[in-house]
Amino acid sequence: MQYTLFGAIDIGSSEMELKIFELSRGKGMREIDCIRSRLELGKDTYATGKISTEKLEELCLVLNDFISIMKSYKVDAYRAYTTSAIREAKNRTILLDYLEKKTGLKIEVLDNAEQRFLDYKSIAAQANEFNRIIEKGTAILDVGGGSVQVSLFDKDSLVATQNIRIGNLRIRERVAAMEHMYGHFEELVQEMTRSELQNFKKMYVKDREISNVILVGDYLGGLSKAASLSIEEFQKIYDGVIHAEPSAAAKQFDLPEESISLIVPTLIICSEFISAMGAESIWMPGLNLNDGNAYDYAQRNRIIRAGHNFDDDILASARNIAKRYQCSKSHVKIMENLGLQIFDRMKKVHGLGSRERLLLQIAVILHGCGKYISLSDPADCSYQIIMATEIIGLSRKEREIIAYAVKFNTMEFPYYEELSRETDLDRSEYLTVAKLTAILRVANACDRSHKQKFENVKVSLKEKELIIQVDTPEDIILEMGLFAEKAAFFEEVFSIRTSIHQKKRM
Amino acid sequence: MEKELSMYMDPAYYTNRELSWIKFNERVLSEARDKNLPLFERLKFLSITESNLDEFFMIRVASLKDMVHAGYTKKDLAGLTASEQLELILKQAHELVNQQYSTYSRSLLPALKQNGLEVVVSHEDLTKEQGDFADRYFEENVYPVLTPMAVDSSRPFPLIRNKSLNIGALIAKKDDPEKKVDFATVQVPSVLPRLVHLPDGKDGGKRVILLEEIIERNIGQLFLNYDVICADPYRIIRNADLTIDEDEAADLLNEIQKQLKMRKWGEVIRLGVQDSMDPRLLKILKKEFHIQGEDIFRVGGPLDLTFLMKMYGMEGFDHLKHPSYKPQPVPAMMNDDDIFTQIRKGDIFLHHPYMTFDPVVNFVKQAAKDPDVLAIKQTLYRVSGNSPIIAALAQAAENGKQVSVLVELKARFDEENNIIWAKMLEKAGCHVIYGLVGLKTHSKITLVVRREEDGIRRYVHLGTGNYNDSTAKLYTDCGLLTCSEPIGEDATAVFNMLSGYSEPRKWNKLSLAPLWLRNKFISLIRRETSNAKQGKPAHIIAKMNSLCDKEVIAALYEASAAGVKTELIIRGICCLKVGIPGISENISVRSLVGNFLEHARIFYFLNNGQEEIYMGSADWMPRNLDKRVEILFPVEDASIMKEIRHILDIQLADNVKAQILQPDGTYVKIDKRGKNLVCAQEYFCEEAMERAKEQMPAEVHSERVFVPAEPMD
Repeated sequence: MQYTLFGAIDIGSSEMELKIFELSRGKGMREIDCIRSRLELGKDTYATGKISTEKLEELCLVLNDFISIMKSYKVDAYRAYTTSAIREAKNRTILLDYLEKKTGLKIEVLDNAEQRFLDYKSIAAQANEFNRIIEKGTAILDVGGGSVQVSLFDKDSLVATQNIRIGNLRIRERVAAMEHMYGHFEELVQEMTRSELQNFKKMYVKDREISNVILVGDYLGGLSKAASLSIEEFQKIYDGVIHAEPSAAAKQFDLPEESISLIVPTLIICSEFISAMGAESIWMPGLNLNDGNAYDYAQRNRIIRAGHNFDDDILASARNIAKRYQCSKSHVKIMENLGLQIFDRMKKVHGLGSRERLLLQIAVILHGCGKYISLSDPADCSYQIIMATEIIGLSRKEREIIAYAVKFNTMEFPYYEELSRETDLDRSEYLTVAKLTAILRVANACDRSHKQKFENVKVSLKEKELIIQVDTPEDIILEMGLFAEKAAFFEEVFSIRTSIHQKKRM
Repeated sequence: MEKELSMYMDPAYYTNRELSWIKFNERVLSEARDKNLPLFERLKFLSITESNLDEFFMIRVASLKDMVHAGYTKKDLAGLTASEQLELILKQAHELVNQQYSTYSRSLLPALKQNGLEVVVSHEDLTKEQGDFADRYFEENVYPVLTPMAVDSSRPFPLIRNKSLNIGALIAKKDDPEKKVDFATVQVPSVLPRLVHLPDGKDGGKRVILLEEIIERNIGQLFLNYDVICADPYRIIRNADLTIDEDEAADLLNEIQKQLKMRKWGEVIRLGVQDSMDPRLLKILKKEFHIQGEDIFRVGGPLDLTFLMKMYGMEGFDHLKHPSYKPQPVPAMMNDDDIFTQIRKGDIFLHHPYMTFDPVVNFVKQAAKDPDVLAIKQTLYRVSGNSPIIAALAQAAENGKQVSVLVELKARFDEENNIIWAKMLEKAGCHVIYGLVGLKTHSKITLVVRREEDGIRRYVHLGTGNYNDSTAKLYTDCGLLTCSEPIGEDATAVFNMLSGYSEPRKWNKLSLAPLWLRNKFISLIRRETSNAKQGKPAHIIAKMNSLCDKEVIAALYEASAAGVKTELIIRGICCLKVGIPGISENISVRSLVGNFLEHARIFYFLNNGQEEIYMGSADWMPRNLDKRVEILFPVEDASIMKEIRHILDIQLADNVKAQILQPDGTYVKIDKRGKNLVCAQEYFCEEAMERAKEQMPAEVHSERVFVPAEPMD
């Protein structure tokens, strides 16, 4: 049997973890080893904005241990991820360089949306259970050290996902400062989280019925042997932990005593969430980022085939953003069809992959969102909206690529030297922006009137010419007229001419 | 829960552990007194009682003395203060010592003489010829290594070493008109054999004399210008335990740390002399060692009977010893497969010393050589000198495997030995963990991680005894070789924890002390209790070395009161009392003291028919449950469960070596009249031999007919 040994490292805000997985087509994901070491990096970051030298040295020690453990397993590959504790540290560039020099480990800083997407993937990896649960309205609460991610599913599609900065470590540190003056920890945390969750509910849940809640986060898995719980069972665990001495709670639930101080805020947040959503049943699969990391690796390397289409989730959340900004659905539909056809026909020319195809699709979906704010300056408004809105599964840079493509859809395209003054996109990312912009412009030009004249189109590439053949009885003079300008840019980027041919109906 | 159990915690229900220990040593002594045993085996048992007693004084009595000095007033589980305990212990210890010497002089010495080995008790009894031999031996071998030391106004009393045998003498200058008497002392050299062979008798009989007698005979040679008024041997035991015994409460430790000055390091806690000692000499020793009353043991024979172990080793008396037993091969492993293949075929149960310890050694050896092995991890507690396991681990590291070894430095008396091996392993490239702060690692576990064709597979050995190939020939222990996935996962987690990483989020099969094991045992016992209360059958069989945990005993009382049939097989200390009306009438306790040291820990629970069997490294003692890293593992293979149940049944049927605890705290042997004799240890020896024989490849067939091969289709 062919299998891959994979090391997943998570440098979290309160703990570092190495998991060794055996990945194979036959047995799927099998966890071989799990090594955890407590180190509250987030305590430094959230309080001072920096990670102290002492913590950094300790981090190096543990990482070097992790490396030797991975070596002893002779792992075939690894991916080391770090999240908000380092992402939010002001000195992150310096310390990442230091870590890399000291350990030789390549550490990637995940954006929140990427991190949450991996967490979410870890859950979805439990395909059967997951698919059954999301048939009904489901909310996922992913509790991290710095923030929580709330995601909504309706009829097995992702409808919304939001990040709220009420992570367990952040809350603990913030409340600890007040606790001695204002007393009750539980009430303080409840108050802090309640208003945030109510806002989320008002904006996204509305009158949707949420029957299931999925809880994800460190330590939650250890609290209950069964993954599925009723509200009463959860309440019992809640009471057992919150209203007991830490040592007694640790004993009862077989938990490390030092983790109780984080479990307490975690449970309060969860409990508030459950009552805000009005859910009937709870699922705590006890998975974390490393599971998602390994699953994602296995899926990308075609070791495991996913039962769930994750790109659809990303698209779904993009469509929900579009909906919020009242983008024209029918216009988007035409453009998507056209844009993707162009993309697919041009594969050999542009050399982009499926990920960029997804970015194009999202760019199409969101290209008009700025009109919600200003009809005179939609391009820049769209850019600002996209840059300010997290899209689950996309990194910040990917979002930036989309935002620029959308912006330059209608604005003048700047050259690299000029653009690089305002962004840290590198050359290849810049080229992606250029190529996506070119396709977007052509697609957009074809439905200038928003009258869906280009419903039936066929795109074909012949030598040096891309022919868009449209089958419509309508008059397309407007489109034809404006097309030349867009085609010029297309030609500049791809060295391919484009033309519209109307199939005349007899 | 604790509230309910408290009604079973009345001190009247408990026996003091030290007094129970003395009872154990009495049982060992009773083996020395058993005329059915080969004579030389009896010597061995007597020697063991002596070394046991030394250790007992050095650790336990010393600890109690510390408590008295520190003014510690907390009572033990039987409601006794430290000074009350000391009083009772000393009284019984004196009785024990008297019995030791009456056994030696009245029973063993005459029997030895009858069998052609004469021990010349006193140098005055030597014949002229023997005397000349002894004198020559003294001159040539002994005199050069002696260091006599006299005490006078300019020379203080010398430091007398713990457990050393010495001769004290009163001497007076020959030309001193006042005849002023001085004290002098000389250590009986430990580098020379204690037993000195004298020339054989005319009938070929062997004769021996003790070294100190030869020195006494020639003591004048040491103090040439003096008259030796008297010379007598003496021996001291000091408070040797440099740390507080782990069995004591942590608050005691604090107490003593606070009163560090109060503690008398190396205080003499026992003085042994012969009852013939000159009273003037004894007076000086009492004054110098600050010792009096019951702490002085006057014996009617040679001091320090551990020389009997050397006598046991004398050649030419094999007919007076048990024939030596050769550990048998393990039936499941009597084939040409490599050990990993054998384990993959199914869990393998090992029962030492009936079965050989070789598979355990080979497990590490083969892992060290096997190209597919990635890592070997092991806990080592007490290792034999020249251990083949250590050599294999070092080899593995040199072969590029990841080798992690936890070496427990706190193993009593073995510290130095362990440090040497640990350093060697480190040099070879092993990752050595030197124990955990505040916890002794007592668990016995080995993990081998192998990268196989169909994935990572883990092989685990779990045992009840140490990874010590020498003691494995003497201690009865059980072991399990398995590649069960859940156990492999747990084993990985155990080593992660021992390496200082966080504990796992969950355990599959193993229960660990000090965090989870106590609760596990209590809940297993209480499950039987609740079954009994519901009228379901309930049965506990537990075999271990010692039982002295208050909470566990209370849970057993509760179970017994509810009607749970409880059979305990406890070699050593047992603080539980049997036969208390309404409390412990359903509990029986038996102790097996035999040729091999009973050492396995096995726990059987009926669980309303869904039997569960566990084995592990832990006794039901507070130190095992609270202060040590211990592992309890379930046995789940049906045929192995059956085998273990069989072992327990045979031990429960033993009527030769077994002694049964009585309600009055004494142990008595079983009346054998009209019964088939069952000696569990002998039974297992024979059984192991038979099973190995059955598995032997049948003799090559004597058929001489050649069979022509059929042509292939």
